[in-house]
Amino acid sequence: MDIKKSEVLQGTLDLMILKTLHALGPMHGFGVARRIEQVSRDILQLNEGTVYTSLLRLQQRGWITAEWGLSENNRKAKFYSITKRGQKQLEVETENWERISGVIGRVLRLEGER
Amino acid sequence: MSSPRESRLRTFGAKLRGFLSKYRHDDDFDDEIRQHLDLLTEKFVKQGMRREDAVVAARRQFGNTTLLQEDRRELQTLTSVEAWWLDLRYAVRTLWRNGAFAAVSIATLGLGIGAATAIFSVIDNVLLTPFPYKDARRIVFPRIHGAQQGQDDGRQGYTPTEVLEFAENNHVFDGTTAANEDLILYKHGGGTEQFEGADVTPGTFEFLGMPALHGRVLQPSDYEPGAPPVFVLRYKTWRERFNGDLSILNTTLVLNGTARTLVGIMPPRFGWYDAEVYIPEKLTRDATSGSFPSWFLVGRLKPGVSQQQAEADLTVIAKRLAKTYPQSYPAEFSVLVRQIGDTVIGRFEATLYTVLAAVGLLLLIACSNVANLMLARATTREKEFALRAALGAGRRRLVRLLMVESLVLAIAGAMLGIFVAWAGLKFLVATMPQDLIPTESVIELNAPVLAFMLCVAVLTALTFGLAPALQSSRRDLNDSLRDSGKGVSGGFRGRWLRDTVVVIEVALSLTLLIGAGLLMRSFVALREVNLGMRADHVFQTGLVLPAERYKTVQQVTNFIRPLLVRLKALPGVVDAAESSALPPSNYNETNVDIAGKTHLEEWPTTFQQVSEEYFRVLRIEFKQGRGFSEAEVNDARRVAVVNETFLRKYLSNEKPIGQRVRLASLETMPDPVHDGSFEIIGVVGDVTNRGLQTPIEPEVWLPYTINAAGPQVVIVHTSQDPGTMMHGVRQEVWNTDSGVALAFAGTLNDRINQRLYAGARFGFLLMTIFGCTGLILVMVGVYSLLAYSTTRKTHEIGIRMALGAKRGDVLGMVVRSGLRLVVVGIAIGVAISMALGRVIGTQLVGVSVYDPETLAATTLLLTLTAAIACWIPARRAARVDPVVALRYQ
Repeated sequence: MDIKKSEVLQGTLDLMILKTLHALGPMHGFGVARRIEQVSRDILQLNEGTVYTSLLRLQQRGWITAEWGLSENNRKAKFYSITKRGQKQLEVETENWERISGVIGRVLRLEGER
Repeated sequence: MSSPRESRLRTFGAKLRGFLSKYRHDDDFDDEIRQHLDLLTEKFVKQGMRREDAVVAARRQFGNTTLLQEDRRELQTLTSVEAWWLDLRYAVRTLWRNGAFAAVSIATLGLGIGAATAIFSVIDNVLLTPFPYKDARRIVFPRIHGAQQGQDDGRQGYTPTEVLEFAENNHVFDGTTAANEDLILYKHGGGTEQFEGADVTPGTFEFLGMPALHGRVLQPSDYEPGAPPVFVLRYKTWRERFNGDLSILNTTLVLNGTARTLVGIMPPRFGWYDAEVYIPEKLTRDATSGSFPSWFLVGRLKPGVSQQQAEADLTVIAKRLAKTYPQSYPAEFSVLVRQIGDTVIGRFEATLYTVLAAVGLLLLIACSNVANLMLARATTREKEFALRAALGAGRRRLVRLLMVESLVLAIAGAMLGIFVAWAGLKFLVATMPQDLIPTESVIELNAPVLAFMLCVAVLTALTFGLAPALQSSRRDLNDSLRDSGKGVSGGFRGRWLRDTVVVIEVALSLTLLIGAGLLMRSFVALREVNLGMRADHVFQTGLVLPAERYKTVQQVTNFIRPLLVRLKALPGVVDAAESSALPPSNYNETNVDIAGKTHLEEWPTTFQQVSEEYFRVLRIEFKQGRGFSEAEVNDARRVAVVNETFLRKYLSNEKPIGQRVRLASLETMPDPVHDGSFEIIGVVGDVTNRGLQTPIEPEVWLPYTINAAGPQVVIVHTSQDPGTMMHGVRQEVWNTDSGVALAFAGTLNDRINQRLYAGARFGFLLMTIFGCTGLILVMVGVYSLLAYSTTRKTHEIGIRMALGAKRGDVLGMVVRSGLRLVVVGIAIGVAISMALGRVIGTQLVGVSVYDPETLAATTLLLTLTAAIACWIPARRAARVDPVVALRYQ
């Protein structure tokens, strides 16, 4: 039933992660989760585990890469960074998103005026 | 930006990598998650939570780790094995519940695959790769073709001088070899046996390029003067005559009086020149031109040399030879070459290719039937799929379910197909007339062909299993939930296609059925043809007399006379006779003159030299006069018996008794008869002497005592089963002279079956198999089409019934819509049969191509079958409860 809905959600999370990695540079999964939590100001209730599914998917598409390294508190951690292809994809997705949200916004306003 | 396809490819690559390195990654991933949970816990503790609470809170915020693992696995691996397994179990269960659908689909696929594979295997083994020899497709044999001769005629035998001339002076072959038929008598302790031998020239085995199975082939040193005599044995002969006993290798056997060492046994497919024993012989040029042209010459064309080039080159050599030996060549001639096997296969080729076309069509039809069946089923399941989708099944999931179902069907069908192919091939080989195919061709299941057929069938099942899935999953869910399909039957294009398939099916199947019917009637007619003799309780065998001891009539009769006495004394023997031909054929020919009659054209007749018991043993009826007396035979009196055809053709039905007939060739053949004139003393009814399809030839019988030439045959009339006589007869022959061998021993009925009926029976069985397969496919085709369309029309039927249509009306409507197609198909099928009549006509005996009974019977059979196929869905449609059907909407 909610095939399309979940697809939209997935895409959104992917977009957020891409943007986060783009803006803040390489970071590990925990960091990404914190950043999204921070930015969304707790509006977005997120199972943080899904971040990892998303990271894996992005990796498989070649939009991000992963590398083992040492974290700030000297622990072994996997660092994710955005690739060139990922940056291009981010541009496209951002554009798409803005267009769609614009359209939806307009439509919703129409509804309100009735 | 990456295109979707590219990105999908990358994903696949990553999955493949993930699949291959699954275990390493699992640990990494676990580490990462554990770390995340730890950090999260730390964070909550810093915010002032108790540690236990922080652990729980961290887990809650992180979500279900098991689910995450599963997600990840789904992402990282190619397929999820468990899900496949579930789908498989579910598919088998569903198919089991829909037993009829599954059985019909599987049977259709199996029949299609099996029949097509079996027939194609035969064609491949017989026509495409019959010979196992090196570059066999380039091996040709030359013949001297006189300008006046028929297209297929021409001398194929050469003298040693000619063989050497061609072999040494040609520019077109990269190798030649020659063989000469050589009758071999093998003398052992108990008696003598005969082998078909071949003398082969040096390099024959190198030319053919086949190594021995045991021991070695003939090598150059075997051809040296003074080399120890050796020979090579054929596999089949080794198995049958020596029980496959390997210890005979390197032992010495007495062949034609020479002690020869067996140095090699050839592999099963080696059967060069159809000989059993191969003996080395080096050719030398004759001083005189007198030797008989008995050597069969073959050459392998050099790569790139065409048959025309070879013919031109060999003609030059032959013209030169013709100057030296003018009597051996026609005035105007050229040398023609032909591929080996052409003559054997030629007769069979048309039949096989016809059958191949039929089989291809059958496979096509089987596949389209399966497609129709799947479509029909998918239609009835639209609701089920809509429900699944509504409950959250992804499209991929639905497709996978259907794919597994189709695969189960396809694999079951394929397995049945393999079985059908195997059994069908066994059956075909068993019924195939022996002399129609080269002995080298081993008919076995052709693996690549089978693989191809399986692919076609599996692809069909998958494609047509999936198409509806894709369609129904793409569809708006609400539509499907609300209603199961459109009110009226499906799209016009789809229907047209399905209708056409059914019409073709009916037409093809009827054509095959009519062919089968005609051949069956013809076969029955053949069995009823009066042979002119009684073939039951007769055992016969040819006798091979060592030529050096049997030169004169006296020598031959001194052997035959006591032999006949001994045979008559055997238990179970009623009578025994001597003859110069093995019934039911006789190929001894001569031209005749009749005293007092002049004629310009030649009067050919067959003739046979027999003992006085001959007519009694074969129970041949006398029309006039009488048979030979014992005294007449013993004294070699000049008396003759003729058949009715002879009487009608050459004596114009005049009173025959006392007329004198002169057999010209008796005066010129070896051991000539001084005066070839004979007095006719009796006339017998016509006896089959050239097979059943060709008219009976005029025939003359003479006492066997007039000369020593010609084959010797004994025919025994038994009171018991003639198949049991072999041992007794052979013992009596060897008791009389242990140097005489038996040839072609067996019962007359077996020989008749093999020579006269086998071809007809094969043709009729083949057509019957196809006809029946076609019939089954028609039934499936009509059924699946109607099942599909009536399901689509359930709503329409509901409305009709609500508006007052009776069950009978609905029944009639559905049956009519099916039979309409059947009638069109029948019309086309009859038309095709008429058009093809000429093709099949040559194989028919005693029945016309337009035999109305056959036409009526097969058409009726097909109509009835189709009617049954219509009836089942029609009845289901008529049972529709209008209320339910309307609520369907």
